[in-house]
Amino acid sequence: MFQIIWQHTRRWQRVCLFAAPLVMLMEVFCDLQQPTLMSKIVDTGLAGSGHPQFILQTGGVMLLIALVGACSGSGCNALASYASLKMGQRLRNHLLSLALATRNGHDLSTPTLITRITNDVIQMQNLVMTLTRSLVRAPFLLLGGIVMAFLISPRIAWILAIVVPVLLLFMGLVIRHSVPLFTKMQQAIDRINRVMRETLLGIKTVKSFTLENQQQQLFDQINQQVQTSSVAAQASVIILAPVVTLALNLSIVAALWFGGGLHASHLITTGQIMAFVNYMIQITTAMINTVNTVSSLSRAQTATARIQAVLDLPQDAEPTATVALPTDTTLRFEHVNFAYPGGENVLTDIDFELPAGAKLGIIGTTGSGKTTLVDLLTRLYDPTSGRITIGGVPINQLSLAQLRQQVAVALQNSVLFSGTIASNLRYGKETATDAELVVAAQAAAAADFIAARPGGYQAQVTQRGNNFSGGQKQRLNIARALVAQAAILVLDDTTSAVDLATDAHIQQALRQVRQGKTTIMIAQRIAALQDSDLILVLDHGHIVARGQHATLLQESAFYREVAVAQLGKEVLTDA
Amino acid sequence: MPNVAMKRPPRGQHYTEEQLKVQHLKPTLRQLSGYLLQKRWPLAAVFGFTVVTTVVSIIGTRLNGLIIDRYIRTDRLKLLAMVCLLMVGMYVVASGFNWLQSHFMVNIAQETSTRIRQDVFTRMQRLPLSYFDQHPSGDLMSRLTNDVDNINTALMETFIQLFTGVISVVGMLIAMLVLSPALTLVVLLASTGTYFLSRQIAKFTQTAFRQQQAELGQLNSEIEETLSGKKTIQLFEQADQVLTDFRATNQRYVHHAYQAQVFSGALGPLNNMLNNLAYALITVLGALAILHGYQGITVGIMFAFLIYMRDFTGPIRNMLDLINTLQVSIVSAERVFAVINAPAEQDAPHVVMPTLTGTIALQHVTFGYQPEHPILHDISLTAKPGEMVAIVGPTGAGKTTTINLLTKLYPLTAGTILIDGHPIDQLDRYALRRQIAIVQQEPFLFSGTIQANIRLGRLDASEADIVAAAKAANAHDFIMQLPAGYQTQLSDRQQSLSQGQRQLISIARAFLAQTPILILDEATSAIDTKTEMVIQQAMDQLMQQKTSFVIAHRLSTIQKADQIIVIDQGRIVERGTHAHLLAQKGLYWRLYRSQFQGKDV
Ligand SMILES: Nc1ncnc2c1ncn2[C@@H]1O[C@H](COP(=O)(O)OP(=O)(O)OP(=O)(O)O)[C@@H](O)[C@H]1O
Ligand SMILES: Nc1ncnc2c1ncn2[C@@H]1O[C@H](COP(=O)(O)OP(=O)(O)OP(=O)(O)O)[C@@H](O)[C@H]1O
Ligand SMILES: [Mg+2]
Ligand SMILES: [Mg+2]
Repeated sequence: MFQIIWQHTRRWQRVCLFAAPLVMLMEVFCDLQQPTLMSKIVDTGLAGSGHPQFILQTGGVMLLIALVGACSGSGCNALASYASLKMGQRLRNHLLSLALATRNGHDLSTPTLITRITNDVIQMQNLVMTLTRSLVRAPFLLLGGIVMAFLISPRIAWILAIVVPVLLLFMGLVIRHSVPLFTKMQQAIDRINRVMRETLLGIKTVKSFTLENQQQQLFDQINQQVQTSSVAAQASVIILAPVVTLALNLSIVAALWFGGGLHASHLITTGQIMAFVNYMIQITTAMINTVNTVSSLSRAQTATARIQAVLDLPQDAEPTATVALPTDTTLRFEHVNFAYPGGENVLTDIDFELPAGAKLGIIGTTGSGKTTLVDLLTRLYDPTSGRITIGGVPINQLSLAQLRQQVAVALQNSVLFSGTIASNLRYGKETATDAELVVAAQAAAAADFIAARPGGYQAQVTQRGNNFSGGQKQRLNIARALVAQAAILVLDDTTSAVDLATDAHIQQALRQVRQGKTTIMIAQRIAALQDSDLILVLDHGHIVARGQHATLLQESAFYREVAVAQLGKEVLTDA
Repeated sequence: MPNVAMKRPPRGQHYTEEQLKVQHLKPTLRQLSGYLLQKRWPLAAVFGFTVVTTVVSIIGTRLNGLIIDRYIRTDRLKLLAMVCLLMVGMYVVASGFNWLQSHFMVNIAQETSTRIRQDVFTRMQRLPLSYFDQHPSGDLMSRLTNDVDNINTALMETFIQLFTGVISVVGMLIAMLVLSPALTLVVLLASTGTYFLSRQIAKFTQTAFRQQQAELGQLNSEIEETLSGKKTIQLFEQADQVLTDFRATNQRYVHHAYQAQVFSGALGPLNNMLNNLAYALITVLGALAILHGYQGITVGIMFAFLIYMRDFTGPIRNMLDLINTLQVSIVSAERVFAVINAPAEQDAPHVVMPTLTGTIALQHVTFGYQPEHPILHDISLTAKPGEMVAIVGPTGAGKTTTINLLTKLYPLTAGTILIDGHPIDQLDRYALRRQIAIVQQEPFLFSGTIQANIRLGRLDASEADIVAAAKAANAHDFIMQLPAGYQTQLSDRQQSLSQGQRQLISIARAFLAQTPILILDEATSAIDTKTEMVIQQAMDQLMQQKTSFVIAHRLSTIQKADQIIVIDQGRIVERGTHAHLLAQKGLYWRLYRSQFQGKDV
């Protein structure tokens, strides 16, 4: 916990971490001065016939000290806020960058990552706030009180020697008991967040299928769990304050009782008993505050552990550009096999070569592994065996940055981000000029509808591109990949929602754009594939046929059937 | 004009002063107390417990003094023992009550926030789709989580302390008045000063808090969006850029949060200062009064008075500290209630809806997502029971939009839609939607098993029905190859199924549903042609008894439609059967021809 905090603070924030409690002590100190000064006024100012001068002077000092105290208090708060917020800021940045850097296939799912970076970080922030403001104050008051009590009268202070350790032990036990309860609560909260999030994201489905009642039931059920587990977790710590208060109050009574006995035997004075009781009261307050701090510590424990898990995500060591980027873009898959973690082979013995500048078409049944094949090329995953080379260089010797600079992908599901059309297209290349955007948009047959939007390229894109039609999103997706102007272009079934006329237009334009680029095109439509230099027919992860359009019409039953269905019987006679 | 690349515009909205003002303080407080009043008996109990514990602590403090004066000094040990026993009893009871009080309060706070969460969720599900177009889900999530949490914390902390505070304040005020009305006046003046100071700061901090929570919503939206689009970001090596944007938002949040916290945190020390000033004033004035023999004030009176004053202003200080907590919670409550109070989807007064035969008529329908930008213009069409209507057109023509209107997802701008002769806005939307099965262009799967996902088509379907539907959708085979078959868990945005497989699941839902109306919005776009042909046969059979609307780009699938509607730029440009439209040589003909275009190159 302290390690996380320490690692996510820098020089000044660390200074604040320590300065805040010190300044807080200053405030306490100022507060404690007032009674002393007051007693001076009474003892000296009122002595004899009185010294009004002295009274006013001391009063002035009291005012001054009040002012200093207020400044220290606000100062402490400012310092503590600074440290905690800055820590939160760094931690959030760090977590998000880690989450973005990790490869796929780790076991933290997107929703829990989201809760961790949002809610748990806030918890840590609050923790730092508590720590810097009260962790020093309360224990100091506690310790001071105990020491003073012993100095005053060891004869009754033995009560403390029994009570305080017992209470500390009790606190420890309670907190140990509470940690798993808080974890359980957090898990329930995670679950409810997931339901809420899914309902939000899938609201159209929920409405269309009238799933409101079902979702409501699910929600209510988990909501109930959240309630039960929160109550259980909090109930486990609310026992602390009453027990501590009771123990200390009883100690006071004991002190009075034994003190009374000792007084009768003239072993103690009334003043000593009074002072002792006063210190006991101070100890009680300090102990309760410590309890509160400690219980917030235990609550933060859960958040800390969850954040730690993100910090511990495996970060594979990436090669840092050991070889220069090959200019040749000949692609080779050499006996590549792949299985998702814990699953069966999704790709088996994929082996082909694609000369630089050529076009590879991939067609295949649903779920046959087309997307996965491309994911291997961009190293979203690594093959289980076999290797992939670009221009003779195995891709795992290139840095990810090099590789992805070389390969531009239009993914199968077109993810857009909120912002403007231009900002989305510039994902491909940050430095793209407006003219370049227009060229790419034209090739993707997106220029017209962009121009028709109010604002054109500056038109707003809302979350996930919800304000565009399916086909419009796909075309922006293609344009984004084209903007990148990478040497290898990959299009994963990116025109499935585009009407045929527009698709034909896109294919035509692509033929221009991809001049000199190695292209991989996954498609269901034969029309988009037939000019490929090589077409692979995939089925259940195997290449079941390969060749050019004409060859495949002869050799692959699957290809032939699809072609006939789409283009009519004439396709056979034409070829 | 080859521009230098522009920086991405900041994603954050910016808020005007107007938006940030405390607009709804009173209604918000009223609504919040509405929730608490539902718990009035437990709250009353808490109040009772608090009275006991506070009184015990006041009496206890007095007794300590009394014991010393009356029993210890005089060594009356028997009586001392009795009083000690009495105190033990008192303290045990008080601690018991103290525990009960926390216990009740935990329950009240949790139950209240459970209720609030539930209300938000219930309302959220009833909000019109256009609401979700305008509010990013990250921000909504932030309201549902952070803001509800803030309310919860405030409830927990505030109420007990307020009760305790009020009781001590009243007790001490009486004690002070008895001792010296003049000095009490000084204390009261100081307290009033404190009150006004707090009010001023409160106004200021509330604005800052609102901004803080709004920025937090924005921050969460970005986290949400970034992590959901991780694959794209990684492939385009955009992590740095995205993180730069994020850092900026993060910085803005921290900036506003810092303002909010510094000012609200200064509240406590400032109040403390005023109290100390009062302390000093009373000491000085008291001392001077003693010197001048004014109003019979003695050292003893002054001494006792100062102790009482500590007990009087202490709770006041505490209560003012709470203003802090309250501020966050009121801003949060406002954000939460904004969702709860948002107008729900318009619904008709419940008309009993018979099972539909499926006659659908659109009459002069005009619609725009923003009414000032119409997307559909004057759409009229009629579908008779059992008919298959195909909607064709270039992308972005408004096909999906037309479908959205049929299921009442958006309200019409003009025109009417009649279903079995009933205007759609007079039908209960649940009843209506329950009679329409739809396969969406972008299927959404929920986390849960595959079986549960298919079952969404018809919630009371048996396992056999589900398997049959999956078979008809040609999804059975791949499902059986998954490690746990139908019980395979889908999670995390369903990344573990291929795009086409997700579509198959969504089609299986439609096969399961037994509705008179079926809508397929590019249901098979990501599915290979061979599989599609297999499904098509089953689909044809399914559609025989239903009124169906089919949107498809592969025209082979819609050739046998009873009528084909061609939409372009939101208008119907052609209609008729396949043969008829081909003969017209219009847009449909061109679309149809382009299918073969690849071939003649
Ligand atoms: N939620 C929305 N908010 C604002 N505009 C929208 C929204 N959804 C769609 N649009 C716009 O409305 C127009 C029609 O979109 P619609 O989704 O109906 O097209 P479509 O015919 O289904 O196209 P496709 O074949 O690409 O799916 C498009 O210009 C689109 O950008
Ligand atoms: N993240 C994953 N974890 C486990 N299995 C996966 C994952 N992603 C895909 N699969 C499985 O791997 C197989 C191949 O998936 P892939 O997405 O490559 O298919 P595809 O050929 O692109 O299909 P489609 O045409 O439907 O897009 C499928 O059976 C799918 O269920
Ligand atoms: Mg795929
Ligand atoms: Mg559409």
